[in-house]
Amino acid sequence: MLEIKDLKVSVEGKQILKGLNLTINKGEVHAIMGPNGSGKSTLASVIAGREDYTVDGGSITFNGKDMLELSADERAKEGMFLAFQYPVEIPGVSTINFLKTAITEIRQYRGLPPMEAKDFLKMLKEKQKLVEIETNLTGRSVNEGFSGGEKKRNEIFQMAMLEPSLAILDETDSGLDIDALRIVATGVNTLRSKENAFVIITHYQRLLEYIIPDFVHVLYNGKIVKSGTRELALELEGKGYDWIKKEFSELAV
Amino acid sequence: MELVTAKTNSSRGALGEAEIIKNKSVLDKWINEVGKRLGEARNTIKSIQQKAEENFAAVGLPNKKTEDFKYTNIRSYLQEDYIAKHGKILVGVQDFEPLLTDDFVSVVLINGKYVPEYSRLKKLPEGVAIKSLFKALEEGDQIAIKQFNAGLATTANPLAMLNTALAGDGIFISIPENFSCPIPIHIANICTGEVKSLYNPRHLVYLHTNAELTLIESHHSVKQTGKTFTNSATEFYIENNASLENYILQDEDVLSQRNDVRHFTVNTGSRMNSVTISLDGGMVRNDPTVFINGENAEVHLNGLFVVKEDHHTDNHTMVEHRAPNCFSNELYKGVIADNATGVFNGKILVYRDAQKTNAYQSNKNILMGDKATINTKPQLEIYADDVRCTHGTTTGVLNEEALFYMRSRGLNEKLAKNILLQAFAKEVSNTIKNETFRNLIEQKIEQNIQ
Repeated sequence: MLEIKDLKVSVEGKQILKGLNLTINKGEVHAIMGPNGSGKSTLASVIAGREDYTVDGGSITFNGKDMLELSADERAKEGMFLAFQYPVEIPGVSTINFLKTAITEIRQYRGLPPMEAKDFLKMLKEKQKLVEIETNLTGRSVNEGFSGGEKKRNEIFQMAMLEPSLAILDETDSGLDIDALRIVATGVNTLRSKENAFVIITHYQRLLEYIIPDFVHVLYNGKIVKSGTRELALELEGKGYDWIKKEFSELAV
Repeated sequence: MELVTAKTNSSRGALGEAEIIKNKSVLDKWINEVGKRLGEARNTIKSIQQKAEENFAAVGLPNKKTEDFKYTNIRSYLQEDYIAKHGKILVGVQDFEPLLTDDFVSVVLINGKYVPEYSRLKKLPEGVAIKSLFKALEEGDQIAIKQFNAGLATTANPLAMLNTALAGDGIFISIPENFSCPIPIHIANICTGEVKSLYNPRHLVYLHTNAELTLIESHHSVKQTGKTFTNSATEFYIENNASLENYILQDEDVLSQRNDVRHFTVNTGSRMNSVTISLDGGMVRNDPTVFINGENAEVHLNGLFVVKEDHHTDNHTMVEHRAPNCFSNELYKGVIADNATGVFNGKILVYRDAQKTNAYQSNKNILMGDKATINTKPQLEIYADDVRCTHGTTTGVLNEEALFYMRSRGLNEKLAKNILLQAFAKEVSNTIKNETFRNLIEQKIEQNIQ
């Protein structure tokens, strides 16, 4: 589904990703862990199509298509979704209208007519229930005045509405209390299917107690230095990142 | 918050004899072209017009050196060769019929002159007066006679003087005491013509004690092939406990240049809400002044301006708190694209006696493009010591983070920008209470922002 090969990315002349490889298949949940500054958020942003980064080499293909040729909105229309680490407030634009527009655009790209109003409302209700988000929040301007937890739940709600085939969750667990964490995890676990895939980017393994990943990768210094299963996350939790830093410090040179 | 303790003297030095003579001769040319002026309806008005002639000759047309016109050099827009004569009306009602709706009483003005046969007053409630100002003066309407220039005489604005001197006609509206006008009055201003023209329409709106009115004004170019400079002036008198909703849409051709002077006198316990939406026109200057003369009055003054290409829109506002315990709030938002220029110069003046004043002013602008310019100058001048006044201005570009966020959900860049701009505009359009007009405005904004 997603294939990243030897990806090299820099920002303002500083290289951040230094030849990253990652393959994700349908039905899989991958966790990417790593210390601060290892390039986790850069990876999420570059996959989603943020333009502040320079891709110096390598490739990102998604369902056989070269993503580096596509703009951020085209990637979303192809079925990608990025849940932001810091969701943006958009005053004056209600979440419902925003989603209606997004769904219409995505459907149009795929040659589908706009969704019937009653189908949209039905879906809205279902997905609101899923992430336990109140109607008064979705009727309000996107994220405006939301608490940190509400913003993250709104990300999962939007993900549920847009039904992406690949969702990247960028530190969705940061700043969440245990209840919000559970709600986010329930959302992801319910949406998880054989047809879609998730990438969970996180610093801690806490979220992975609720969302069980198929694979865990450690990103350090712009490269994936270790891959394994759930046990790797637990090992990191026990030992911290220092041993990774020590073991792979030669890569920093 | 800025606290000014001395009143600044912003008038430029007195003009020399030669220049005054030149101003007089330009004015005389225009007076000859205008023909019948309001003074012909009434001798007292004639003397007011003569006084205005003298006052105008002493200052002339504003240029960049005129403090209040620093960013809008009127002399680069209006010159002697503009003809101040109303030509034959070349448009029929069929040319602008879609602009008239049955939801409103429609008053049609062609180049500022009232055209009764094009207007639709059938639904006008009894007791509400709508007539040409000339006719009101001629008939001896005591309000029209007494109030004419009472508000505007206080201003040092040369263009207000020019309007007073040249005014030939305009509209007079009066709402009787304790009467809430159940249907909005819509003044459809049609700008048309083939020759370079100067128009000086003069209007007077009077709300008696405890009266209520929604007055909608819209400006459109229809079959316009010649440049126009419309120098309009309107006086509003809002008596005790009366309430005015005043919405203005400026949606004209690039050939149209408009200076819109307004003077509101707000009395005890009264309320006004004025919303100006400036969408197009080669040059637009809005110049509202509000005198709050009685206690417990509430004033809202809002504006949205979208300026494109090489056009120019200037909002110059003045709110004078002359009585205690009043509230005023001002919000002006600008979207400036291409090589366009926007100006916001708003001043709040709080008199020594106007204790317990609450006055707020905010100007927010979005620049779309490297060559777009905004000149913004908020001012507070406060002589009372127990007041709450704030002002603020922000200018920026569209939020890049928000754009990326929206794009990451499948909206293309253009759509995302449009949605952000519409949301930006909505804060102003939301202050329009009349739903029919608000919907029209929001549609217009949507089309205009594309």
